[in-house]
Amino acid sequence: MTDDVTLLRAVHDMYDTMDPPPADLADRVLFTLQLEDLEFELMRLEEALQPAGARGPETASTVTFSAESLTVMVTVSDSGPHRRRIDGWIAPGGALRVELRTPRGVHETQADADGRFAFAEVPSGLVQIMIHPTTGAEVPLHRPVVTPPVQL
Amino acid sequence: MTSATSDDTGVGTASWEVAAREFAAWRAGDRAALDRLVRLLTPVLWHLVRAYGLDRESAEDVVQTTWMALVRNVDSVRDPQAVLRWTTTTARREAWRTARLGRRVDVAEPQTLDAALPPVGGPDSTVLAERTARTLWRHIAQLPERCQRLLRVIAFEDRPDYASLSTELGIAVGSIGPTRGRCLDKLRGLLAADPEWSDQRD
Repeated sequence: MTDDVTLLRAVHDMYDTMDPPPADLADRVLFTLQLEDLEFELMRLEEALQPAGARGPETASTVTFSAESLTVMVTVSDSGPHRRRIDGWIAPGGALRVELRTPRGVHETQADADGRFAFAEVPSGLVQIMIHPTTGAEVPLHRPVVTPPVQL
Repeated sequence: MTSATSDDTGVGTASWEVAAREFAAWRAGDRAALDRLVRLLTPVLWHLVRAYGLDRESAEDVVQTTWMALVRNVDSVRDPQAVLRWTTTTARREAWRTARLGRRVDVAEPQTLDAALPPVGGPDSTVLAERTARTLWRHIAQLPERCQRLLRVIAFEDRPDYASLSTELGIAVGSIGPTRGRCLDKLRGLLAADPEWSDQRD
């Protein structure tokens, strides 16, 4: 008969084989923890749509993130070798300040009154979108909202 | 399969001391120690959170949230030796709460998971390990949900906080030990009755 410790070790190894953590999960956690001010709301990934049958350079995928007070739909498409373009749509729409964190620095833009924004020429790697409370925007935010980091 | 070393009463024992050391180093100003702490404990947190049936995306969110909570509330961890328990308990509580809200609970059957796995190949030892894992997975899937959850938690957390576990599993603190024993016995019974299992283990 197998003793408890041996059996639990087998259970441990089994889950590590059958349901391992995503290989880059710790990297993504650390990417978020690098933010100096952690007073923000972490958005949840609501749904990830796979590329709809597209192949080659036109491949695009859309993901939706949600926070308590808003959602943001993000479409990523290729804009060149190792380059991506990000189109975002915040709902409800508002001229909010949007930051894109990449391993090589932060890009900043402002959404239009409908909540649409874009970043062209984003290098591949981990990125994270941060939406800030913005004076004059129709959407009242109490604190920044941040998406989990995703691999481009 | 390797047997347990004599000074090891469970599976997670090796890491709490390392976790305490890294946490103390980080608190003393060594930024790289946080990096090591996150890499050390994130896999453990993943398995604990998945024990509550969350799908992979929700599980990732809970792991992220747990680490953010630790960094934000770092002063509430007075004793570095408590950091492992603090993070595991926080992760389980958050996973339990999220699952109760009914968010995207994963009801993946073993078969669908099987299909998602890469085909068995590679060195003989890997093939054997995968076959063993699949057999074990199949038998664990037959246990009551409470047993599955409890076994996955204690396989990754050596001495879980019984008070929180009691709430999360809906059983009295005093029943956790006996339940654990019964769940392990049930699993042993299923494995003993499976000739395939004894073949693999011999």
